[in-house]
Amino acid sequence: MDERPADGRTPQERRPDASMTLLTSMLERPLDPSYQAAADRRRAAGETPATSSRTVLVFVMMLLTGLLFAIGAQALRPKPTAAATVRDELVSRIETLQTHSTAQEATLAALSKQVRDLEDLSLQQSGSDDLTAQIKQLEVGAAAVPLRGSGLTLTIDDAASADADANAGNRPSGGFQQGRVTSGDLQIVVNGLWGAGAEAIAINGHRLSSTAAIRFAGQAIIVDFRPLSRPYVITALGDPQGMQQIFEPSFAGVYLDQLRQEYQIRSSIATSDDLTVPGDTSAKLDHAKPLSGTVGSAPSLTSTQTGSGSGTGSEGATSAPSSPASGSTPNPQETTQ
Amino acid sequence: MIPVLGLLAGLAIGLVIDPSVPVWLQPYLPIAVIAALDAVFGAVRAVLDGIFNDKVFVVSFLSNVIVAAFIVFLGDQLGVGAQLSTGVVVVLGVRIFSNVASIRRHLFKA
Repeated sequence: MDERPADGRTPQERRPDASMTLLTSMLERPLDPSYQAAADRRRAAGETPATSSRTVLVFVMMLLTGLLFAIGAQALRPKPTAAATVRDELVSRIETLQTHSTAQEATLAALSKQVRDLEDLSLQQSGSDDLTAQIKQLEVGAAAVPLRGSGLTLTIDDAASADADANAGNRPSGGFQQGRVTSGDLQIVVNGLWGAGAEAIAINGHRLSSTAAIRFAGQAIIVDFRPLSRPYVITALGDPQGMQQIFEPSFAGVYLDQLRQEYQIRSSIATSDDLTVPGDTSAKLDHAKPLSGTVGSAPSLTSTQTGSGSGTGSEGATSAPSSPASGSTPNPQETTQ
Repeated sequence: MIPVLGLLAGLAIGLVIDPSVPVWLQPYLPIAVIAALDAVFGAVRAVLDGIFNDKVFVVSFLSNVIVAAFIVFLGDQLGVGAQLSTGVVVVLGVRIFSNVASIRRHLFKA
Protein backbone atom coordinates (compact mmCIF):
# COMPACT_ATOMS: atom_id res chain seq x y z
CA MET A 1 0.00 0.00 0.00
CA ASP A 2 1.51 3.31 -0.91
CA GLU A 3 1.11 5.91 1.77
CA ARG A 4 -0.23 9.22 0.58
CA PRO A 5 0.23 12.26 2.78
CA ALA A 6 -3.16 13.31 3.99
CA ASP A 7 -2.84 16.92 3.08
CA GLY A 8 -0.55 16.84 0.09
CA ARG A 9 2.53 18.03 1.92
CA THR A 10 5.81 16.48 1.14
CA PRO A 11 7.13 14.31 3.89
CA GLN A 12 10.04 16.69 4.39
CA GLU A 13 7.85 19.42 5.90
CA ARG A 14 7.24 18.47 9.48
CA ARG A 15 3.74 18.98 10.58
CA PRO A 16 3.32 20.55 13.99
CA ASP A 17 1.51 17.42 15.13
CA ALA A 18 4.00 15.05 13.54
CA SER A 19 4.44 13.18 16.77
CA MET A 20 0.78 12.24 16.70
CA THR A 21 0.64 10.77 13.21
CA LEU A 22 -1.11 7.69 14.45
CA LEU A 23 -4.01 9.66 15.92
CA THR A 24 -4.09 12.04 12.96
CA SER A 25 -4.25 9.33 10.36
CA MET A 26 -6.84 7.47 12.39
CA LEU A 27 -9.08 10.50 12.69
CA GLU A 28 -8.52 12.08 9.30
CA ARG A 29 -8.46 9.04 7.06
CA PRO A 30 -10.71 6.41 8.50
CA LEU A 31 -11.12 4.90 5.04
CA ASP A 32 -8.64 2.27 4.04
CA PRO A 33 -6.12 4.11 1.81
CA SER A 34 -5.97 1.12 -0.50
CA TYR A 35 -9.44 1.99 -1.83
CA GLN A 36 -8.04 5.27 -3.14
CA ALA A 37 -4.95 3.53 -4.44
CA ALA A 38 -6.97 0.92 -6.31
CA ALA A 39 -9.22 3.61 -7.75
CA ASP A 40 -6.20 5.55 -8.94
CA ARG A 41 -4.78 2.47 -10.59
CA ARG A 42 -8.04 1.78 -12.38
CA ARG A 43 -8.27 5.38 -13.49
CA ALA A 44 -4.73 5.16 -14.86
CA ALA A 45 -5.69 2.01 -16.75
CA GLY A 46 -8.60 3.89 -18.32
CA GLU A 47 -11.40 2.15 -16.37
CA THR A 48 -14.05 3.57 -14.07
CA PRO A 49 -12.55 4.14 -10.63
CA ALA A 50 -15.12 1.99 -8.86
CA THR A 51 -15.94 -1.64 -9.51
CA SER A 52 -19.48 -2.87 -9.20
CA SER A 53 -20.63 -3.74 -5.73
CA ARG A 54 -22.85 -6.47 -7.14
CA THR A 55 -20.21 -9.10 -7.69
CA VAL A 56 -20.26 -12.62 -6.37
CA LEU A 57 -17.24 -11.81 -4.23
CA VAL A 58 -19.04 -9.02 -2.44
CA PHE A 59 -22.15 -11.16 -1.99
CA VAL A 60 -20.16 -14.01 -0.47
CA MET A 61 -18.29 -11.58 1.78
CA MET A 62 -21.51 -10.04 3.01
CA LEU A 63 -22.97 -13.50 3.55
CA LEU A 64 -19.96 -14.31 5.70
CA THR A 65 -20.36 -11.02 7.58
CA GLY A 66 -23.99 -11.80 8.32
CA LEU A 67 -23.01 -15.30 9.46
CA LEU A 68 -20.33 -13.83 11.69
CA PHE A 69 -22.79 -11.42 13.29
CA ALA A 70 -25.43 -14.08 13.87
CA ILE A 71 -22.97 -16.63 15.22
CA GLY A 72 -21.29 -14.05 17.42
CA ALA A 73 -24.57 -12.88 18.84
CA GLN A 74 -25.82 -16.39 19.50
CA ALA A 75 -22.60 -17.75 20.92
CA LEU A 76 -21.96 -14.86 23.25
CA ARG A 77 -25.43 -13.95 24.41
CA PRO A 78 -25.75 -14.93 28.08
CA LYS A 79 -27.81 -18.07 28.18
CA PRO A 80 -30.45 -18.66 30.82
CA THR A 81 -28.58 -20.65 33.40
CA ALA A 82 -29.90 -23.54 35.38
CA ALA A 83 -29.99 -21.32 38.46
CA ALA A 84 -32.26 -18.84 36.71
CA THR A 85 -34.61 -21.62 35.65
CA VAL A 86 -34.81 -22.94 39.18
CA ARG A 87 -35.35 -19.43 40.49
CA ASP A 88 -38.24 -18.84 38.08
CA GLU A 89 -39.79 -22.12 39.15
CA LEU A 90 -39.46 -21.23 42.83
CA VAL A 91 -40.97 -17.81 42.22
CA SER A 92 -43.95 -19.33 40.47
CA ARG A 93 -44.37 -21.89 43.25
CA ILE A 94 -44.28 -19.17 45.88
CA GLU A 95 -46.84 -17.17 43.97
CA THR A 96 -49.14 -20.16 43.60
CA LEU A 97 -48.88 -20.93 47.30
CA GLN A 98 -49.52 -17.32 48.22
CA THR A 99 -52.66 -17.28 46.11
CA HIS A 100 -53.72 -20.53 47.75
CA SER A 101 -53.03 -19.12 51.20
CA THR A 102 -55.05 -15.98 50.47
CA ALA A 103 -57.99 -18.10 49.35
CA GLN A 104 -57.68 -20.28 52.45
CA GLU A 105 -57.63 -17.21 54.67
CA ALA A 106 -60.83 -15.97 53.07
CA THR A 107 -62.44 -19.36 53.71
CA LEU A 108 -61.20 -19.26 57.27
CA ALA A 109 -62.67 -15.80 57.80
CA ALA A 110 -66.02 -16.92 56.44
CA LEU A 111 -66.01 -20.05 58.60
CA SER A 112 -65.07 -18.16 61.76
CA LYS A 113 -67.93 -15.79 61.11
CA GLN A 114 -70.24 -18.80 60.85
CA VAL A 115 -68.86 -20.17 64.08
CA ARG A 116 -69.42 -16.85 65.82
CA ASP A 117 -72.96 -16.62 64.49
CA LEU A 118 -73.65 -20.12 65.75
CA GLU A 119 -72.17 -19.24 69.13
CA ASP A 120 -74.43 -16.20 69.32
CA LEU A 121 -77.41 -18.33 68.40
CA SER A 122 -76.58 -20.96 70.96
CA LEU A 123 -76.07 -18.31 73.64
CA GLN A 124 -79.39 -16.68 72.83
CA GLN A 125 -81.12 -20.04 72.93
CA SER A 126 -79.69 -20.72 76.36
CA GLY A 127 -81.24 -17.47 77.49
CA SER A 128 -78.25 -15.36 78.42
CA ASP A 129 -77.85 -12.64 75.82
CA ASP A 130 -75.92 -10.39 78.15
CA LEU A 131 -72.83 -12.44 77.36
CA THR A 132 -72.99 -11.51 73.67
CA ALA A 133 -71.93 -7.94 74.29
CA GLN A 134 -69.06 -9.09 76.47
CA ILE A 135 -67.87 -11.54 73.85
CA LYS A 136 -68.05 -8.88 71.18
CA GLN A 137 -65.93 -6.60 73.28
CA LEU A 138 -63.36 -9.29 73.96
CA GLU A 139 -63.23 -10.26 70.31
CA VAL A 140 -62.42 -6.68 69.39
CA GLY A 141 -59.64 -6.70 71.93
CA ALA A 142 -58.28 -10.00 70.68
CA ALA A 143 -58.25 -8.69 67.11
CA ALA A 144 -60.46 -11.56 66.04
CA VAL A 145 -62.98 -9.49 64.12
CA PRO A 146 -62.56 -6.89 61.40
CA LEU A 147 -63.08 -3.32 62.53
CA ARG A 148 -64.03 -0.18 60.73
CA GLY A 149 -63.85 3.44 61.72
CA SER A 150 -61.85 6.63 61.63
CA GLY A 151 -58.13 6.62 62.13
CA LEU A 152 -54.70 7.29 60.75
CA THR A 153 -52.81 5.85 57.82
CA LEU A 154 -49.05 6.01 58.25
CA THR A 155 -47.05 5.06 55.19
CA ILE A 156 -43.35 4.31 55.61
CA ASP A 157 -41.09 3.49 52.72
CA ASP A 158 -37.42 2.86 52.08
CA ALA A 159 -35.30 5.81 51.02
CA ALA A 160 -35.38 6.54 47.32
CA SER A 161 -31.71 5.66 47.04
CA ALA A 162 -32.43 2.15 48.23
CA ASP A 163 -34.89 1.62 45.39
CA ALA A 164 -32.41 0.27 42.90
CA ASP A 165 -32.48 -3.24 44.26
CA ALA A 166 -35.67 -3.05 46.23
CA ASN A 167 -37.25 -5.98 44.43
CA ALA A 168 -37.98 -8.86 46.70
CA GLY A 169 -35.70 -11.09 44.65
CA ASN A 170 -32.72 -8.79 44.95
CA ARG A 171 -32.64 -8.38 48.66
CA PRO A 172 -29.15 -8.87 49.98
CA SER A 173 -28.93 -11.85 52.25
CA GLY A 174 -27.37 -9.98 55.10
CA GLY A 175 -25.86 -6.81 56.32
CA PHE A 176 -27.43 -3.56 57.33
CA GLN A 177 -28.33 -1.16 54.61
CA GLN A 178 -28.95 2.46 55.29
CA GLY A 179 -32.18 3.78 53.91
CA ARG A 180 -34.14 0.60 54.50
CA VAL A 181 -36.98 0.37 56.93
CA THR A 182 -36.16 -2.25 59.53
CA SER A 183 -38.43 -4.28 61.73
CA GLY A 184 -37.16 -2.27 64.68
CA ASP A 185 -38.40 0.94 63.08
CA LEU A 186 -41.82 -0.59 62.58
CA GLN A 187 -41.89 -1.84 66.16
CA ILE A 188 -41.15 1.62 67.52
CA VAL A 189 -43.73 3.27 65.28
CA VAL A 190 -46.41 0.70 66.07
CA ASN A 191 -45.77 0.95 69.78
CA GLY A 192 -45.94 4.72 69.45
CA LEU A 193 -49.31 4.39 67.81
CA TRP A 194 -50.57 2.08 70.57
CA GLY A 195 -49.30 4.64 73.01
CA ALA A 196 -51.14 7.37 71.17
CA GLY A 197 -54.40 5.56 71.76
CA ALA A 198 -54.84 3.38 68.70
CA GLU A 199 -57.54 0.78 69.17
CA ALA A 200 -56.60 -1.50 66.31
CA ILE A 201 -53.58 -1.58 64.04
CA ALA A 202 -52.92 -3.37 60.79
CA ILE A 203 -49.74 -3.32 58.71
CA ASN A 204 -50.23 -3.87 55.01
CA GLY A 205 -53.55 -5.51 55.77
CA HIS A 206 -52.24 -7.81 58.53
CA ARG A 207 -53.99 -7.16 61.80
CA LEU A 208 -51.78 -6.94 64.83
CA SER A 209 -53.23 -9.08 67.56
CA SER A 210 -51.89 -9.25 71.08
CA THR A 211 -49.41 -11.91 70.04
CA ALA A 212 -48.45 -10.75 66.58
CA ALA A 213 -44.74 -10.19 66.23
CA ILE A 214 -42.87 -7.78 64.01
CA ARG A 215 -39.60 -9.44 63.23
CA PHE A 216 -37.03 -9.65 60.52
CA ALA A 217 -35.68 -12.58 58.59
CA GLY A 218 -32.70 -11.67 56.49
CA GLN A 219 -33.71 -8.31 55.19
CA ALA A 220 -37.42 -9.05 55.00
CA ILE A 221 -39.84 -7.77 57.60
CA ILE A 222 -42.14 -10.44 58.95
CA VAL A 223 -45.40 -9.52 60.60
CA ASP A 224 -47.27 -12.36 62.19
CA PHE A 225 -45.18 -14.83 60.15
CA ARG A 226 -46.06 -13.21 56.85
CA PRO A 227 -43.38 -11.32 54.96
CA LEU A 228 -44.19 -7.78 53.96
CA SER A 229 -43.01 -5.82 50.99
CA ARG A 230 -42.54 -2.09 50.88
CA PRO A 231 -44.19 0.37 51.24
CA TYR A 232 -45.39 -0.34 54.76
CA VAL A 233 -48.87 1.02 55.30
CA ILE A 234 -49.85 1.13 58.95
CA THR A 235 -53.54 1.58 59.55
CA ALA A 236 -54.44 2.61 63.07
CA LEU A 237 -58.04 3.03 64.17
CA GLY A 238 -58.83 5.58 66.79
CA ASP A 239 -59.36 9.29 67.17
CA PRO A 240 -57.39 10.66 64.19
CA GLN A 241 -56.65 14.15 65.50
CA GLY A 242 -56.00 13.02 69.02
CA MET A 243 -53.67 10.22 67.95
CA GLN A 244 -51.74 12.50 65.65
CA GLN A 245 -51.34 15.08 68.37
CA ILE A 246 -49.99 12.54 70.79
CA PHE A 247 -47.95 10.57 68.27
CA GLU A 248 -45.98 13.31 66.60
CA PRO A 249 -44.25 14.77 69.64
CA SER A 250 -43.85 11.32 71.19
CA PHE A 251 -40.67 9.28 71.04
CA ALA A 252 -41.89 7.30 68.02
CA GLY A 253 -42.83 10.46 66.15
CA VAL A 254 -39.45 12.06 66.81
CA TYR A 255 -37.75 8.79 65.88
CA LEU A 256 -39.59 8.72 62.56
CA ASP A 257 -38.56 12.31 61.97
CA GLN A 258 -34.95 11.39 62.64
CA LEU A 259 -35.17 8.49 60.21
CA ARG A 260 -36.40 10.91 57.58
CA GLN A 261 -33.61 13.37 58.23
CA GLU A 262 -30.77 10.92 58.63
CA TYR A 263 -31.62 8.19 56.18
CA GLN A 264 -34.21 9.82 53.88
CA ILE A 265 -36.73 7.17 54.85
CA ARG A 266 -40.04 8.38 53.49
CA SER A 267 -43.08 8.54 55.67
CA SER A 268 -46.42 10.24 55.42
CA ILE A 269 -49.36 10.38 57.74
CA ALA A 270 -52.97 10.82 56.68
CA THR A 271 -56.23 10.88 58.57
CA SER A 272 -59.37 9.27 57.32
CA ASP A 273 -62.89 8.78 58.55
CA ASP A 274 -63.43 5.44 56.96
CA LEU A 275 -60.74 2.85 57.48
CA THR A 276 -61.01 -0.87 57.93
CA VAL A 277 -58.70 -3.36 59.53
CA PRO A 278 -59.22 -7.06 58.92
CA GLY A 279 -59.58 -9.59 61.67
CA ASP A 280 -56.63 -11.77 62.55
CA THR A 281 -57.58 -15.00 60.85
CA SER A 282 -55.15 -17.01 62.88
CA ALA A 283 -56.91 -16.16 66.14
CA LYS A 284 -58.11 -19.31 67.86
CA LEU A 285 -59.67 -20.25 71.15
CA ASP A 286 -56.80 -20.90 73.47
CA HIS A 287 -58.10 -20.61 76.95
CA ALA A 288 -61.58 -20.85 78.41
CA LYS A 289 -62.89 -20.82 81.97
CA PRO A 290 -66.36 -21.13 83.41
CA LEU A 291 -68.08 -17.96 84.50
CA SER A 292 -68.95 -17.73 88.14
CA GLY A 293 -72.69 -18.15 88.49
CA THR A 294 -72.91 -19.85 85.16
CA VAL A 295 -76.22 -20.10 83.38
CA GLY A 296 -77.30 -23.66 83.16
CA SER A 297 -75.47 -25.72 80.63
CA ALA A 298 -74.62 -22.83 78.37
CA PRO A 299 -71.04 -23.04 77.25
CA SER A 300 -68.99 -20.42 78.97
CA LEU A 301 -67.43 -18.56 76.18
CA THR A 302 -65.83 -15.77 78.09
CA SER A 303 -62.47 -16.60 76.87
CA THR A 304 -59.40 -15.07 75.48
CA GLN A 305 -58.68 -15.52 71.88
CA THR A 306 -55.11 -15.34 70.93
CA GLY A 307 -53.27 -15.44 67.71
CA SER A 308 -51.34 -18.44 66.66
CA GLY A 309 -48.08 -16.70 67.36
CA SER A 310 -48.39 -17.21 71.07
CA GLY A 311 -45.43 -18.48 72.93
CA THR A 312 -42.84 -17.99 70.21
CA GLY A 313 -40.89 -15.80 72.50
CA SER A 314 -39.33 -14.13 69.51
CA GLU A 315 -37.40 -10.97 69.84
CA GLY A 316 -39.34 -7.84 69.31
CA ALA A 317 -42.84 -9.13 69.80
CA THR A 318 -45.20 -6.23 70.09
CA SER A 319 -48.25 -6.56 72.15
CA ALA A 320 -51.53 -4.92 71.55
CA PRO A 321 -53.37 -3.67 74.56
CA SER A 322 -55.79 -6.34 75.51
CA SER A 323 -58.45 -3.89 76.42
CA PRO A 324 -60.29 -2.39 73.50
CA ALA A 325 -61.65 0.50 75.49
CA SER A 326 -60.57 3.74 73.94
CA GLY A 327 -58.94 6.16 76.26
CA SER A 328 -57.45 3.34 78.23
CA THR A 329 -54.01 3.90 79.53
CA PRO A 330 -51.43 3.94 76.77
CA ASN A 331 -49.63 0.69 76.61
CA PRO A 332 -46.22 1.18 75.07
CA GLN A 333 -44.52 -2.14 75.23
CA GLU A 334 -40.86 -2.43 75.65
CA THR A 335 -39.30 -4.00 72.65
CA THR A 336 -35.93 -5.49 72.41
CA GLN A 337 -33.94 -6.37 69.40
CA MET B 1 -29.10 -4.10 -2.79
CA ILE B 2 -27.45 -7.45 -3.52
CA PRO B 3 -24.85 -7.04 -0.72
CA VAL B 4 -27.67 -6.22 1.70
CA LEU B 5 -29.47 -9.39 0.60
CA GLY B 6 -26.27 -11.29 1.23
CA LEU B 7 -26.01 -9.82 4.71
CA LEU B 8 -29.61 -10.72 5.51
CA ALA B 9 -29.18 -14.23 4.11
CA GLY B 10 -26.07 -14.70 6.24
CA LEU B 11 -27.89 -13.49 9.34
CA ALA B 12 -30.82 -15.81 8.62
CA ILE B 13 -28.60 -18.82 8.04
CA GLY B 14 -26.61 -18.11 11.18
CA LEU B 15 -29.76 -17.75 13.28
CA VAL B 16 -31.41 -20.87 11.85
CA ILE B 17 -28.58 -23.35 11.98
CA ASP B 18 -27.17 -21.91 15.21
CA PRO B 19 -23.72 -23.48 14.95
CA SER B 20 -21.86 -24.09 18.14
CA VAL B 21 -18.63 -22.14 18.39
CA PRO B 22 -15.69 -23.92 20.01
CA VAL B 23 -14.79 -22.37 23.31
CA TRP B 24 -11.24 -21.49 22.27
CA LEU B 25 -12.66 -19.40 19.41
CA GLN B 26 -15.15 -17.47 21.49
CA PRO B 27 -12.83 -14.72 22.82
CA TYR B 28 -12.10 -13.68 19.23
CA LEU B 29 -15.72 -13.38 18.12
CA PRO B 30 -16.47 -9.91 19.52
CA ILE B 31 -13.27 -8.49 18.04
CA ALA B 32 -13.96 -10.20 14.73
CA VAL B 33 -17.46 -8.71 14.68
CA ILE B 34 -16.11 -5.20 15.31
CA ALA B 35 -13.45 -5.64 12.64
CA ALA B 36 -16.05 -6.88 10.16
CA LEU B 37 -18.27 -3.90 10.98
CA ASP B 38 -15.37 -1.57 10.32
CA ALA B 39 -14.67 -3.21 6.95
CA VAL B 40 -18.37 -3.07 5.97
CA PHE B 41 -18.76 0.59 6.87
CA GLY B 42 -15.52 1.37 5.07
CA ALA B 43 -16.88 -0.39 1.99
CA VAL B 44 -20.17 1.53 2.14
CA ARG B 45 -18.27 4.77 2.34
CA ALA B 46 -16.08 3.74 -0.59
CA VAL B 47 -19.20 2.98 -2.65
CA LEU B 48 -20.57 6.42 -1.87
CA ASP B 49 -17.20 8.02 -2.62
CA GLY B 50 -17.20 6.21 -5.94
CA ILE B 51 -13.97 4.36 -5.32
CA PHE B 52 -15.26 0.95 -4.24
CA ASN B 53 -13.16 -2.02 -5.20
CA ASP B 54 -14.36 -5.50 -4.39
CA LYS B 55 -10.88 -6.98 -4.07
CA VAL B 56 -9.83 -4.26 -1.67
CA PHE B 57 -12.99 -4.91 0.33
CA VAL B 58 -12.26 -8.61 0.65
CA VAL B 59 -8.63 -8.04 1.51
CA SER B 60 -9.38 -5.32 4.06
CA PHE B 61 -12.14 -7.43 5.59
CA LEU B 62 -9.98 -10.50 6.00
CA SER B 63 -6.91 -8.60 7.15
CA ASN B 64 -8.99 -6.62 9.67
CA VAL B 65 -10.48 -9.75 11.16
CA ILE B 66 -7.24 -11.71 11.18
CA VAL B 67 -5.11 -8.90 12.59
CA ALA B 68 -7.67 -8.09 15.28
CA ALA B 69 -7.91 -11.75 16.26
CA PHE B 70 -4.14 -12.05 16.25
CA ILE B 71 -3.73 -9.03 18.50
CA VAL B 72 -6.18 -10.51 20.98
CA PHE B 73 -4.47 -13.89 20.78
CA LEU B 74 -1.09 -12.30 21.40
CA GLY B 75 -2.52 -10.27 24.26
CA ASP B 76 -3.95 -13.43 25.83
CA GLN B 77 -0.54 -15.10 25.64
CA LEU B 78 1.09 -12.06 27.24
CA GLY B 79 -1.58 -11.65 29.88
CA VAL B 80 -2.86 -8.31 28.58
CA GLY B 81 -5.66 -9.65 26.40
CA ALA B 82 -8.30 -7.41 27.93
CA GLN B 83 -6.24 -4.26 27.43
CA LEU B 84 -5.36 -5.09 23.85
CA SER B 85 -9.01 -5.94 23.11
CA THR B 86 -9.95 -2.53 24.44
CA GLY B 87 -7.32 -0.93 22.23
CA VAL B 88 -8.60 -2.72 19.15
CA VAL B 89 -12.18 -1.78 19.95
CA VAL B 90 -11.24 1.87 20.46
CA VAL B 91 -9.31 2.16 17.21
CA LEU B 92 -11.90 0.32 15.14
CA GLY B 93 -14.70 2.17 16.91
CA VAL B 94 -13.19 5.55 16.01
CA ARG B 95 -12.91 4.45 12.40
CA ILE B 96 -16.46 3.16 12.35
CA PHE B 97 -17.79 6.45 13.70
CA SER B 98 -15.77 8.54 11.22
CA ASN B 99 -16.92 6.39 8.32
CA VAL B 100 -20.53 6.53 9.46
CA ALA B 101 -20.25 10.31 9.72
CA SER B 102 -18.97 10.43 6.16
CA ILE B 103 -21.77 8.11 4.97
CA ARG B 104 -24.26 10.37 6.71
CA ARG B 105 -22.85 13.41 4.90
CA HIS B 106 -23.22 11.59 1.58
CA LEU B 107 -26.75 10.40 2.21
CA PHE B 108 -28.38 13.26 4.06
CA LYS B 109 -26.02 16.11 3.14
CA ALA B 110 -25.90 16.88 6.82
